[in-house]
Amino acid sequence: MATDFWASSHNKRWIIDRASLKQARSEDLRYVESPEHVDFLNIYFANLIAMLGKRLTLRQRVIATATVFFRRFYVKNLYCETDPFIVIAACCYVAAKAEESPVHIKNVVSESRLMFSQEGYGVKNFPSDNSKLAEMEFYLVSDLECDLVVFHPYRTLLTLCGREAAHAVVSEAGEVGVGIDNGPRYWGTGEGRLELEEGPLQTAWHVIPPPPSTLHSTLLRPKTDQIRALNRFIINDTYRSELCLLYPPHMIAIAAIYLTLVLNDKTREAIQAQTASSTPTPTPRRSSRTNTSSVHRKLAAAPQQQQDFVGFMAGLRVSLPTVAMIAQEILSLYTLWERYSDAAPESGLGQSAVGDTAGDDVVTPAFLTQLLLRMREARLADLAHPASAQPMAVNKRLERTQAAG
Amino acid sequence: MADIMVNTNLPTTTMSGAREAELTRPNTPSKSSSDELYSIVSQVGEGTFGKVYKARNTVSGLYVALKRIRMESERDGFPVTAMREIKLLQSLRHDNIVQLYEMMVSNGSVYMVFEYMDHDLTGILSQSQFTFTDAHLKSLCKQMLAGLAYLHHKGIIHRDIKGSNILINNRGELKLGDFGLARFYHKRRRSDYTNRVITLWYRPPELLFGTTVYGPEVDMWSAGCIMLELFTKRPIFQGNDEIHQLEFIFKILGTPTPERWPGVTNLPWYELVRPKEFIPNHFRDLFRKWLSPAGLDLAEELLAFDPLHRVTAVQALEAAYFKVEEPAPSMPTGLSTLEGEWHELETKRERAKKRRKLEGGAVQ
Repeated sequence: MATDFWASSHNKRWIIDRASLKQARSEDLRYVESPEHVDFLNIYFANLIAMLGKRLTLRQRVIATATVFFRRFYVKNLYCETDPFIVIAACCYVAAKAEESPVHIKNVVSESRLMFSQEGYGVKNFPSDNSKLAEMEFYLVSDLECDLVVFHPYRTLLTLCGREAAHAVVSEAGEVGVGIDNGPRYWGTGEGRLELEEGPLQTAWHVIPPPPSTLHSTLLRPKTDQIRALNRFIINDTYRSELCLLYPPHMIAIAAIYLTLVLNDKTREAIQAQTASSTPTPTPRRSSRTNTSSVHRKLAAAPQQQQDFVGFMAGLRVSLPTVAMIAQEILSLYTLWERYSDAAPESGLGQSAVGDTAGDDVVTPAFLTQLLLRMREARLADLAHPASAQPMAVNKRLERTQAAG
Repeated sequence: MADIMVNTNLPTTTMSGAREAELTRPNTPSKSSSDELYSIVSQVGEGTFGKVYKARNTVSGLYVALKRIRMESERDGFPVTAMREIKLLQSLRHDNIVQLYEMMVSNGSVYMVFEYMDHDLTGILSQSQFTFTDAHLKSLCKQMLAGLAYLHHKGIIHRDIKGSNILINNRGELKLGDFGLARFYHKRRRSDYTNRVITLWYRPPELLFGTTVYGPEVDMWSAGCIMLELFTKRPIFQGNDEIHQLEFIFKILGTPTPERWPGVTNLPWYELVRPKEFIPNHFRDLFRKWLSPAGLDLAEELLAFDPLHRVTAVQALEAAYFKVEEPAPSMPTGLSTLEGEWHELETKRERAKKRRKLEGGAVQ
């Protein structure tokens, strides 16, 4: 049911447990020196989807859907046995169609070729033939089992922060069941909404302080980095990880709100003040009807902007330990991301600048492309000489990938 | 969809298998071949983008309808209309909407697996073995409107309501099918869509006048055409082209005037196709012998010229025709005694065969 997450294929079939996810990546892990490299690949591919999406002028929602499709495809396939670049192109192409903003197949092929062939990425063999992408699309849709309805955290964020009417409903034209009143959200408090100032709300969606690695290049190319900083939305950022396979979107949204409250200076101070005065002075809970004494109303005048954030979080009918876990995972994603230099190789100059600053610890797109090629070669060798590997099963996936180019 | 699997005993090799099975099963598209799981019995129809077959599940013995999405002719890959139909159907569940059981990939084709429906409206109205009572026809009309009410509530316009897309099974249940032209619409905001939708005979006047801003009212006009067809057994407005279609409508309902339809003169093609002479409304004279008074009232409200005054599906279900006037609706369950299956495709073939015979006889 498209307007009902609980009955959807997303909930029933595409939220998987950690063990299954680990199983899905286990073969890939045999071909990398460090398990971290696979996490870097996850960041790399999501970045590529986002950049290709921007080139194709896809909306953020479409880009998010494309990323979810990509993650789902690789629950069943291996990085080392497929060509993730054509999968990326196919994900963008299918997502655009599925979200009712189709782009021409020719544009997808030419933009992908152009982007991937840039020096920093070093992907030279992207096919120029439309039919190759169409074929890949077929395999993709088939592995996605035609489950094309994807839910995202954006709507939850806007609902909880009281912006639904203003933005979400109107702007998401292609979304399934738009314009339908879902009734009260079962996981919400039912007690009004969190009122965030524009700044913090932007944070939940946007901005995290740029990591040190990009601070450096900000000096070199301030303009592009400003744009990039703006695009760093917490929720958008979660697509760099595999969170969208592990948790329902509304949990991810709540974790993003939680992080925002903690990271934003103003709200953090408010929370600290609130928890410090842990004396049982009744916290101004916004719609608790018992506290309507006139004395209290005087007190409540000040808290107008100082809301009960702790109460808000506690009032949500969700597992807060899970929220904390997701938040923790988002934070570790940022830690990892700091060591990833996604300075897009828009020019040879930018590329060399990155090369200079890149220490041993900094991972670049070029490195990851090379890593992927090595993984694929090693995999092929293993399959050709089964003695050196585990007993070989007939692998249709590989045949198909090769057939797809 | 997994719960449907249990009901119909479909094996887990198909696309809706349990998640655990999916993760381990091989990803070969030919694995769940239609040859193995389903054996095709016959062709029963022609959808917007592919043929529809009747097939039998070789494991459970149940019949399904397989709709093949043609891929090879599509240079742009997966047809966007097919994708839209899949997405739509996956999000719908209602007694009067045909149920999509699952998707299946086989030998380079994608199949949609539907519940099997024995007849379609065009086919069933063309047979003479089973006679529908007024209570049966009222039930069919009500079921159609209930399906439309659900769709419109979900924010979907069907855009191709016609006899061959209204499916009926031997239990007397009516279900709307073929969502190849359907799309989501904004409830709060009207937006621009193509006006080249809906089979000509069922196309509402505002589309014939060229409007691109419309909503679910377009389906209600088609529903009005279908309601009359239930009684007369043949399509009411059988035009050859857009202009002829409008003339046909005017001949029965009279010409639209600014009083009957404020804003008609502002429609894009009004000047091109405006009626040349005034024709009065003959609707009641023509259909009095077919429909009851309350039935006439409802049909007239469905066929209102002005889309803003056309009755909605929810309102139509509250009409006196259903709520007050006797007889009460009753499902035509007797259809199970009917021999054969009646689809438009077979009716057409039958007609073509007869014609050939006649021509053959003439030559001899």
